[in-house]
Amino acid sequence: MIATLLAFAAACALVAHLSATWAPRVWRLVTMAALGGLLTASLAVLCGGEAWEWRSAWALGGEPIHLRLDALSAFFAALLAVVGGASTIYSGSYWPDAKHPRSAPAGRLWWSVLLASLAVVLLQSNGLHFLIAWELFTLAAYFLITLDRRTREVRAAGWLYLAASHVGTLCLFAFFALLAARVGEWDLGPLRDRADLAPLFWLALAGFGLKAGIFPLHVWLPSAHANAPSHVSAMLSGVTIKIGVYALLRFSGWLPVPEAAAWTIVAAGLASAVLGVAFALGQHDLKRLLAYHSVENIGIILIGFGFALIASAHGGAAWGRLAIAAALLHVWNHGLFKSLLFLGAGSVLHATGTREMSRLGGLWRAMPWTTACFVLGAAAISGLPPLNGFVSEWLLFLGLFDAASAHGAGSWAALPGAVLLGMTGALALACFVKVCGVVFLGLPRSAPAARAHEPGWGMRGPMVALGAACVAIGLAPAWFYSPVARAAAAWDPALIVGPAPAPLLALGAFHLALAGIGIAAAAALWRWVRRTGLRRAVTWDCGYSLPTPRMQYTAGSFAAIVTSWFAWILRPARHALAPEGLFPARASHAVHTPETVLEKWIAPAARVVMEISSAVRRLQHGRVQAYLFYLVVGIVLVTLAAFAGGAR
Amino acid sequence: MLPGIINRVKARVAGRSGPPLLQLYHDLARLGRKGVVMSMAASPGHILGVAVAWVATAGAALLLPLGPWASPLAFRGDAILFVYLLALARFCTALAALETGSAFEGMGAAREVSYAILAEAAVITGLLTLGVQSASVSLSEMLIPSAGPGTTLLALGFFVVLLAENCRVPFDDPNTHLELTMIHEVMVLDHSGPPLAVILHGASLKLLLFSLLLVQAVLPLSAWPWPAAIGALAVSVLAVAAAVGLTESLSARLAFSRVPMMLTTAFLLCLFALLVAWQGGAA
Repeated sequence: MIATLLAFAAACALVAHLSATWAPRVWRLVTMAALGGLLTASLAVLCGGEAWEWRSAWALGGEPIHLRLDALSAFFAALLAVVGGASTIYSGSYWPDAKHPRSAPAGRLWWSVLLASLAVVLLQSNGLHFLIAWELFTLAAYFLITLDRRTREVRAAGWLYLAASHVGTLCLFAFFALLAARVGEWDLGPLRDRADLAPLFWLALAGFGLKAGIFPLHVWLPSAHANAPSHVSAMLSGVTIKIGVYALLRFSGWLPVPEAAAWTIVAAGLASAVLGVAFALGQHDLKRLLAYHSVENIGIILIGFGFALIASAHGGAAWGRLAIAAALLHVWNHGLFKSLLFLGAGSVLHATGTREMSRLGGLWRAMPWTTACFVLGAAAISGLPPLNGFVSEWLLFLGLFDAASAHGAGSWAALPGAVLLGMTGALALACFVKVCGVVFLGLPRSAPAARAHEPGWGMRGPMVALGAACVAIGLAPAWFYSPVARAAAAWDPALIVGPAPAPLLALGAFHLALAGIGIAAAAALWRWVRRTGLRRAVTWDCGYSLPTPRMQYTAGSFAAIVTSWFAWILRPARHALAPEGLFPARASHAVHTPETVLEKWIAPAARVVMEISSAVRRLQHGRVQAYLFYLVVGIVLVTLAAFAGGAR
Repeated sequence: MLPGIINRVKARVAGRSGPPLLQLYHDLARLGRKGVVMSMAASPGHILGVAVAWVATAGAALLLPLGPWASPLAFRGDAILFVYLLALARFCTALAALETGSAFEGMGAAREVSYAILAEAAVITGLLTLGVQSASVSLSEMLIPSAGPGTTLLALGFFVVLLAENCRVPFDDPNTHLELTMIHEVMVLDHSGPPLAVILHGASLKLLLFSLLLVQAVLPLSAWPWPAAIGALAVSVLAVAAAVGLTESLSARLAFSRVPMMLTTAFLLCLFALLVAWQGGAA
């Protein structure tokens, strides 16, 4: 059955590729059908079906095609299908042919290539084909990021993404080549007992970690996700960075992992989580801020993943199960609420034409649906009960508390881990209070914000659907336990799939009650207020009779306290023009958080590489005499070496 | 009732007779009858957020055990839910404050969420201490075998967090009229009528909740017979309220730049308590 569904999806994907440029309706229909097929197949595997495996009789590029859909790949494929489907529908209204006659058809074609190559990466069990599909989706993502390449900023973001991705791909070339050389074939599969393969995991960590956006390998991520069209940002942030996580999980499940790598993953996860959200607080660009939150959430996923690795290195402690379940569930959760937030940001951009938070404000009046969806996503990403983000963070906290009281190997890391995770949650909350408050509440800060309008159902529908998925995981976490447990078992066969644990059921019941009573209380208070009488007046701004929108608190001021704590790494730049004289003519104050990691660390390193390269390039200048000289010197050296070898 | 006691203690120290103990309830009843004036910039969330915040605080209170009786809702992991329910209340209050677009309330919300980062780190560290002591993640079990070696440190840390989270001097002044210097009170400037009553009730509920947490983290109440345990609990909560009143009377409000330092001190106290507990468990 799974083979039929996947064949159906592949056929639909083929039609989608063919129809992308000239028949948008047909394209949308077949793309949704393909994703539906993929989703059904993944759910069939996740709900207890057998893993599916297929090997072709013929060879492609010298290797037979080897596909496999087990619970781990099905887990990520389901996320791909849901987020991909929502973004596909959204793109129809967000990037229509009427507005973008040239880039919209090209965008559809690259979108199809991206979806298809992501699915192939998830299914692939052959190193060579994996690498080809990986490169294909990297390129497709580049063309999607630079879909509207008229501005310099977009081109620079695309270029940075392409360069960074290829540094990662270089590591992966080395990884797969060395793996194939040592194993003797390109075919991939469980090889956990080959201890000599363990050092290769470092290469995989660098290559896949770059794609996942681990701090400090995240430098390409904020600008790429901020400058891409919003449906592409949703896809990049919701799915493609998770593919990096998938590959890390896949190869840590198949190959032996050195224990130092597990500790590195935990440390990198903690750094990504805390610093990702600290950088996010300093941003004024709505989408760039969301992009930094991707770094934070990848950090949370990696904390769980790293602790699970430590646990399995020490005889499979019980808290390792909680940690890996938390990491996997957070993959789904982050995919859902982050794509929801990016689509919401896209609607804001669509309605007002700006991503600059200091020019927005008061959008709730014109865009109630977008506001409601965005605030829901914000509460979910801040890890607030009763939504899905809390469920996975709760699982992770349970794992860390257990690890701490077990006094085992992981407890030294679990103590700071739990504290930093708590701080990350509070920081994320501060950040999203800022975003929601500044963008959607209060009064409009500029004319475009005042003229905003709600988008049509083509854009509202996907947001509502993603929001509903967030609420569903939050209110009924026990339903989602068995897919997570099956995916965890596919990662490490030592983890057995059991029924949902009792505390999870209790948490689900508490969430239901909390949601029900919260809504009832809100309704009751509203009725009470209506009964006693409601009058509208200007804001009581401590006696100012006419507060203006310009007097509202800004995003920069809101975050100022926290950014001053993190000034040692954020290095915020201040441009102030103080008012002078009795009648000051003009004064200004601007705060800006630069891409510190890129500008202070990576760029100097890149400059050194460039200088060395250009020094080497001086050897190549086109003078034939000099080349002949090199040849003579080379021959003399080889001769000398041969003589020296012969003499010994 | 606790704000009444605190006010009475403050008044006594200042040589006044002070308002009646149940003044808060008079205020609540009066506010409940009044109409509401809402800012023109605010959405219905301005009022609905208040209700959700109250429900979250009440839900957190229900998770606490009461002396010898475990909480009726106790389950493994409710300690974390407790922390995040308070975070939900904070999220709603801060957003309700930002609804009005008032610069003062923006300032208050910014301070509230920023200082909460340090306070939350201290609370998580404190809970981790209790968790390591009792090898449990449920408040009802974590608070039983208290009186570990680091208790004094933990109690001091929790007391500072209580002062900060409930906006008492030296972090905040619940009585001042200078909005520039406040945190919590300034966030509710634009609330009136029944929503304000709900906010006031929620705030005193939160004070009671933190006092209960503090007392039960220190005293091994469950080992005693229940009348003694309940008596001791009540007396200790009153003592905490008196201590808050005394602190308010005897100290001045801190400069804002020094608030993070004070909270970091609380965090470090909890951290030392944690290390003591961890070493004790390992030995």
